[in-house]
Amino acid sequence: MFGIDLGKYRTLVVSIFLFLLFDLGVLVLNFVISSEIAQDAEAVNLAGRQRMLSQRTAKAALQIEKQAGSETPDPRLPAELALAADTFERTLHAFRNGGETVSGGGKPILLARLDDAAAQDILTRTDAVWAPYRKAMQAALAPGAGAETVAAMVGRAEDTNLQLLGLMNELTTRMEAIAASKANNLRMVQVGGISLATINFVIILVHFIGHLRRADRELESARKQTDDILRTTQEGLFLLDPEYRIGTQHSRALAGMLGTGQPGGANLLDLLRPVVSQKTLDTAREYLDLLLKHEVKEKLVASLNPLDRVEINMSEAPGIASQRYLKFAFNRVKEGKRVTHLLVTANDITRRVQLEQDLKESEERSANQMSMLVELLRVDPAAMQEFLAGAGSALDGMNALLKDQTEGREAHGARINGIYRIAHRLKGDAAGLGLSSLAGNVHALETQLSELRERSDLMGEHFLPVTVRVKALFADLEAIQSVVTRVAAMRAAVVVDPPRPAADAQAQALQFVQRWRAYATQIAQRRQKCVELSYGGIDIATLDAAQRETIVGVVNQFIRNAIVHGIESPDERRVRGKPAAGQLSVYVMRNEEGGVDLSFRDDGQGISTERIRLAALKSGLLSPERAHTSTDRELIALIFAPGMSTQDHADTDAGRGAGLDAVKEMVVGQGGRIRIGTTRGEYCHFRVTLPAAAARPVQPASEEIKA
Amino acid sequence: MKLLIVDDSNIIRSKIARALGAYGLEVVGLAANGRDAVARAAVTRPDVITMDLTMPEMDGIQCIREIRKLRPKVQILVVSALADKATAIQALKEGAQGFLCKPFTEQELTDAIGELIEEAQNG
Repeated sequence: MFGIDLGKYRTLVVSIFLFLLFDLGVLVLNFVISSEIAQDAEAVNLAGRQRMLSQRTAKAALQIEKQAGSETPDPRLPAELALAADTFERTLHAFRNGGETVSGGGKPILLARLDDAAAQDILTRTDAVWAPYRKAMQAALAPGAGAETVAAMVGRAEDTNLQLLGLMNELTTRMEAIAASKANNLRMVQVGGISLATINFVIILVHFIGHLRRADRELESARKQTDDILRTTQEGLFLLDPEYRIGTQHSRALAGMLGTGQPGGANLLDLLRPVVSQKTLDTAREYLDLLLKHEVKEKLVASLNPLDRVEINMSEAPGIASQRYLKFAFNRVKEGKRVTHLLVTANDITRRVQLEQDLKESEERSANQMSMLVELLRVDPAAMQEFLAGAGSALDGMNALLKDQTEGREAHGARINGIYRIAHRLKGDAAGLGLSSLAGNVHALETQLSELRERSDLMGEHFLPVTVRVKALFADLEAIQSVVTRVAAMRAAVVVDPPRPAADAQAQALQFVQRWRAYATQIAQRRQKCVELSYGGIDIATLDAAQRETIVGVVNQFIRNAIVHGIESPDERRVRGKPAAGQLSVYVMRNEEGGVDLSFRDDGQGISTERIRLAALKSGLLSPERAHTSTDRELIALIFAPGMSTQDHADTDAGRGAGLDAVKEMVVGQGGRIRIGTTRGEYCHFRVTLPAAAARPVQPASEEIKA
Repeated sequence: MKLLIVDDSNIIRSKIARALGAYGLEVVGLAANGRDAVARAAVTRPDVITMDLTMPEMDGIQCIREIRKLRPKVQILVVSALADKATAIQALKEGAQGFLCKPFTEQELTDAIGELIEEAQNG
């Protein structure tokens, strides 16, 4: 209708249109009929006047006759008769054919022809009576008319007077009847119109009340569905306005997620403020503005959402904190082209994040285990057993130190240094066997210890993480032990020949030498250096366990020390006229006293007393005055001091200054001594003497180092 | 549709040019820094631009601001590593329409450009 889609308002518009149409129809009919009634009243009036005019002509005719003999006749009488007759004649004519006559006030008035047949019949009969009477009046009024014409007029008047009166009466009555019938019509029209309008109104009422109730029901049902969705969904669902306020209609789950009673109306960023960093919060505001106020593609900016993984720490009950992760996703709600709100979906992704973390950890663990397994398979079983025994007692040693509860800065410092030395040796042994993952774990322990060393507020409780890590190392050792056992069982199962006797001294000797070589090559490769290790002397398997363990530990430290600090890079060696590969020469022999002599020599750059002086100054081992006055001998002795290193950064191989400190402890612990010989740019030579197993006096370490 | 590629990495520029050339865009310019990009945008009058953010001479954000003055209707896709979300958001506020995170696959690139071009043709 009207080219407009009226939709659900169509019926309403049609009803109102009909209502107006009925009212208008009644109004028009009313107007037409009442104006006809007004005209009819006029006509009835004129018909009544015809009665009066017929009587007036008769009266005037009689008076004219009466004064015929009089000497002063009234000159107004003939004019009055003429006027009355003329008015009667014109009105009669107007009634019969339609036309103009004069009103009572003398004004001209237009009459319509009377359509009514009965009225026309009355008029025809009136005309028949009136025409001869009118002729007689005209003759009597003509100038010079005689008394006989007057007498004829009077005679005619007497004849027709009553007849005309009767006819005009009849006419008046008839016209009144017509007018009454029209008034009746008018009433009928009014009643009909009002009835139709009322019916229409009732229809509208019934129709719309039904419609309203239906709409209400639908609305109620829709509201209930929305309520059900918001009550049941596990997602946090809400609308966010451009002022970042959360809409009042939100899912019930949201309150639990945000840990707030009434999120509706609250500012989302204010709610997040305590749980996210200021930077994330600022970025989140910028991101929301981007979606609300800028013409960007929603899909193409989703990856910038800073709230896609929000970590929330909540205390569910006093003392019980829970960590959860929420993901917020934002979608624009548009009206036309304008963005009015953002639809926000919040999901608790804690489970997913945990699974991801677990997966990552388990991948790392299995990779670690796999590499450990591969490492274990390469190691000679006897050497491994020896290592495990040594490592077990090393960890026990650490535990003993950790159990000591003595407080105080010095006690803590001594504890750290003690654990450090054990750890460093353990790391060296593990690395020597190629157990790099275990060596890595011990390295992590060292890192932890050096962090503790830096602390100024060191207290007993700070050792807790160290204890945890030592426990983890126990677990590592257990794991290794279990794998070793299984591998041994497997080897026993698959080997058909009986195992070779372990008495092959050459092979045994080769095995520990090969381990040293492998270790040396490994460190050299990490440092882009090249070394060759040569061995001469006895099979160390013939030594007693304590001596053998010490020799292996000490040589491992010397190898590392030599490659890291002594041996130059291949290029530098060529420049100095040395072979590209650094030469490490190791000798182990029994001495006359039943003890063991170890000689370890490298052809590197020797010991730089200047670097030691600098490093000792830096680490506070020497005061500035002492640093300047110290002799070379004194300075060289410092390489065995705890915490001494000339390397700036710690790595797996060196830099913590614990290596030679550990050597000193091992040797002195056995009652042995160390001597050093060095020439700058040429070599460095360590000579270690261990006493016979029977005699091991414990002596002050400082006395035993001869540079 | 004319495409301008802005990135200081030669490898990324070639990768984008190859992928979007095959997608049907006409590569009208390659720029390795922001200043060069503004000049090329003025001369070649591109419809679509891929924009790196960290570049020598003039960074991506300022570059977007300058280009936006010259060509108000050009569609800009920021192609950058997601080291700093705030910077990327800033770039979008300066008038870029989309963001693609490095590293990306050819499919991701053509999807993003498709999305952007649809916008340009509708709007």
